[in-house]
Amino acid sequence: MNSDEFVWLERAMEGDKEAFGQIIEAYQGPVYNLAYRMLNNADEAEEAAQEAFIRAYTRLDSYNPERKFSTWLLSITSNYCIDIIRKRRAILLSIDEPLAPHPALMSEKSAGPEAQMVQSEEQRLVQQMLAELEPDYRQAVILRYWYDLSYEEIAEVTNSTVSAIKSRLFRARRYLADLGVAAGLEPIDVPGMVV
Amino acid sequence: MEHEEIFTLMMDALDGELLADEQMRLESHLRACPDCMQEWQALSAIDALFRRTPMLSPAADFTQRTLARLPNRRVRLWLMGLVYVALLAAGLLPVLVVVGTAVYLVASFGEPAAVGSGLQLLVKGVQLIGVVGGALLTGATRLVIEQPAIIGWMLVMVGIVFLWSGVYRQLLSAPARRQIS
Repeated sequence: MNSDEFVWLERAMEGDKEAFGQIIEAYQGPVYNLAYRMLNNADEAEEAAQEAFIRAYTRLDSYNPERKFSTWLLSITSNYCIDIIRKRRAILLSIDEPLAPHPALMSEKSAGPEAQMVQSEEQRLVQQMLAELEPDYRQAVILRYWYDLSYEEIAEVTNSTVSAIKSRLFRARRYLADLGVAAGLEPIDVPGMVV
Repeated sequence: MEHEEIFTLMMDALDGELLADEQMRLESHLRACPDCMQEWQALSAIDALFRRTPMLSPAADFTQRTLARLPNRRVRLWLMGLVYVALLAAGLLPVLVVVGTAVYLVASFGEPAAVGSGLQLLVKGVQLIGVVGGALLTGATRLVIEQPAIIGWMLVMVGIVFLWSGVYRQLLSAPARRQIS
């Protein structure tokens, strides 16, 4: 966290909404992306991201400055998304139902038409595969790939242990690999691995 | 067993945490085992796909819409301050009453003329406490004999008192707003 963010947080603790607006501006991308990847629905993701910021604002007193602010915020978001998924299950809604996709999954204006289609297809495939994972596994995969968090940091965000996270990632990756093969994903070699 | 160990090496390779000798072991195994090679290529494809999938962003006016939903923290802090003051006053009031009474009595007994009458007053006070206490004890004993359920209700009341004293202590011991430094 940079010094500006420290100042914004101190002012937000005193009730300055505009200062907290700067925090929202800085973290809206990561928070929204986590919510979208977890929930696979643009409307629900936006609602969840807003709720995560509201919860963070009302609980600022409980934030420990010795922890990374981003980790704390992602933890609030991720817990809220898991709650939503549990509620969804309680009312027997299936993740397979048609859900509102993120606009970026429809098109990427900066790319050419062919590249747009490939990107859009890949985005859809990623979301489909994520939706096949149990929420705990999905959470670990998202935090590893989009946030580049270490196992220790993922354990902190998810209030779990490093060994549990390793186990979840191990199983999730193998399951995703099977799904990828079934979906016709071209097998590749990782650069640097000479076989 | 060997395959499970190889899978672990594959995970370490994907995380970029493979040591040189481990990489050699993995490579030599993959060259000899088509099944593991297939698994490795599928894992690599997923890894590459997820790594090139970008972060998504919310709509442009997300910040404004979220700010509009934020509660008023200043009012909340002010109300919490009032609660703390009220609880502090509630705790201090009995102490102030006892101290005030003691100061008044010490001042009264301190006058020479009042010593004799003070002693008489003390004796009468003790007698009165005895009579009242005895009557209360007799009444309470009779009540318990006639209405045994009253003991249960009293236990419930004691429980409630303990519960609220716990809440009271918790509120008083809550840390002041933490400063970020």
